Amino acid sequence: MSVAQVKRIAISDSPWPWLAPLIALLIVFTIYPLIYNVWLSFHEFVPRKRTLAFVGFDNWVQLWNDTRFWGALGVTFLYFVIALTVELVLGMAVALLLDAELPGFGALRAILSMTLVIPPAIAGMMFLLMQDPQFGVLSYFLNQLGILDKSTPILATSSLALIGVLLAEIWQWTPFMVLIFMAGLRSLPTEPYEAAMIDGASSFQMFRRLTLPMMSKVIAVAILLRGIDLFRVFDYVFVMTSGGPGTSTYTLSLYAWQQTFSFLKWGYGATLSLTSLVIIMVLANLFIRVAKVRW
Amino acid sequence: MHQSRFTRTLRTIAGWLVVGAFFFPIYFWTSVAFRDAKEIFNWPPIIFDFHPTVRNFEQVFGISLGFSFGNQEAVTPGGGNFYMGPRLWDSIVVASLSTVLAIVVATLASYALSRMNFRGRHEFVNWVLSTRMMPPVAVAIPMFFIFKQFSLLDTYLGVILIHGLMNLPLAVLLLKSFFDDIPAEIDESALLDGASRWTIFRRIVLPMAKGGIAATAVLCFIFSWTEFLFVLTLTQTGLKTVPVVSSTFVTSIGTAWGNMAALGAAAIVPAFITILLVQRHLVRGLTMGSLKQ
Repeated sequence: MSVAQVKRIAISDSPWPWLAPLIALLIVFTIYPLIYNVWLSFHEFVPRKRTLAFVGFDNWVQLWNDTRFWGALGVTFLYFVIALTVELVLGMAVALLLDAELPGFGALRAILSMTLVIPPAIAGMMFLLMQDPQFGVLSYFLNQLGILDKSTPILATSSLALIGVLLAEIWQWTPFMVLIFMAGLRSLPTEPYEAAMIDGASSFQMFRRLTLPMMSKVIAVAILLRGIDLFRVFDYVFVMTSGGPGTSTYTLSLYAWQQTFSFLKWGYGATLSLTSLVIIMVLANLFIRVAKVRW
Repeated sequence: MHQSRFTRTLRTIAGWLVVGAFFFPIYFWTSVAFRDAKEIFNWPPIIFDFHPTVRNFEQVFGISLGFSFGNQEAVTPGGGNFYMGPRLWDSIVVASLSTVLAIVVATLASYALSRMNFRGRHEFVNWVLSTRMMPPVAVAIPMFFIFKQFSLLDTYLGVILIHGLMNLPLAVLLLKSFFDDIPAEIDESALLDGASRWTIFRRIVLPMAKGGIAATAVLCFIFSWTEFLFVLTLTQTGLKTVPVVSSTFVTSIGTAWGNMAALGAAAIVPAFITILLVQRHLVRGLTMGSLKQ
């Protein structure tokens, strides 16, 4: 390309030269993996021959009949619902509490943002240590409060393991909600509240009738972004429980990963991860439509 | 709103208690980094009353700090199973270069998305947003095979590429929101004066958006710094970043909690300092440019 040509492209108002690098990378990152996954889901690795063999719809039929897949889907949904609910409610409560100009509250906001920069894998390790039945500080507190028996290891008990993982999740990401909600609360107009005060509204009524509706866009964005991450949870379960005990903390992402890289079921792993992708895409786009979130 | 002195005091105390509860795990983890094994494996667990030692840091970074808090024996520097200096370097290289990649590509694209009207712009933004929804595992599986084909497995280039790509949706949408803040009239009057788009971009818009670009870069850096699944999947022995290498402290004879905490604490401190620098833009960053503070 001559210098004159380059200049002409730069001067012209076409957005495509500006977007070209992004488009190229997005094709490599999204379109190609997607096609590859679809292709892979119709094949399976044959260890004996060390090649991929075409298996038709076998993987998809296996998926439908796989109780572990349905179990993982259930665990993922349970994790998603519990974490999102607790983080939203707790996040809003803490945001309302901290939404005031009181001594040191600026510093409190900074301290809260600390949890967000910790690698989730390391946060998982922190809670693994704190929940250790022999010397964990959290086990000790729960034990002292009479909630937990000393002989019960949280992460090694099927009925409790998911709660143990959720503790790390909720600890790390409730501040995400707090910070977003606080920013939202600070940008609210004061007039409606003054009018409501004159009318003698209670603070709960004001929260229900004024704060929540005016915060709906903020809440919707928080739900969307956190929800996406919750549905693909991997790091915590990988380092804390590896899906166990039994299959009690097997999430969809972890199951897909293990099928591919631990059991070399490449085709089935791709089928699982593709399923997880489709579910997230459908749910997230549906939510964007319904909640009218716009970028 | 008027609140009595009593309510204000109560609220201050409650605020500090709640945040204190969130801070506790960070305190505890950091304190474990300064403990001997004896004081980690204790029941009841020791919370404040431990004897600090820098031994874990010395082992992890292969250095002798030349001092100790008490009468602990010295450690021979360099080597050792828990020597993690190179892994910290891996993290820094990957996070920095992947950030550069994401920022360069995203500033160009965001400028066009913010300033130029073209058909399909809205759909394009949605496409960028939807890539943020892809589960990492759905990308990592095909990428593993593609990387294998192109000999990118276990290389800096491979991880830098994938982290840069991973951060593109955030970088594009966030930078677009920063560019949107700069009045379009500035561009238009410069265009009338005969300046090219490229000149306007470089001489006017980029300098004006400096703060926003810096904030975006910090977030990209942190997301690469904390990323787990891609590094776990796409590297073997050539390189490993801090979050992934932390899991190797779990050995058959037990977990080296002290060393792991030392590495973890050392990895968290720089991330926390950088996030403090961009507090002003934090919420905008966390919401990918959707909410402005």
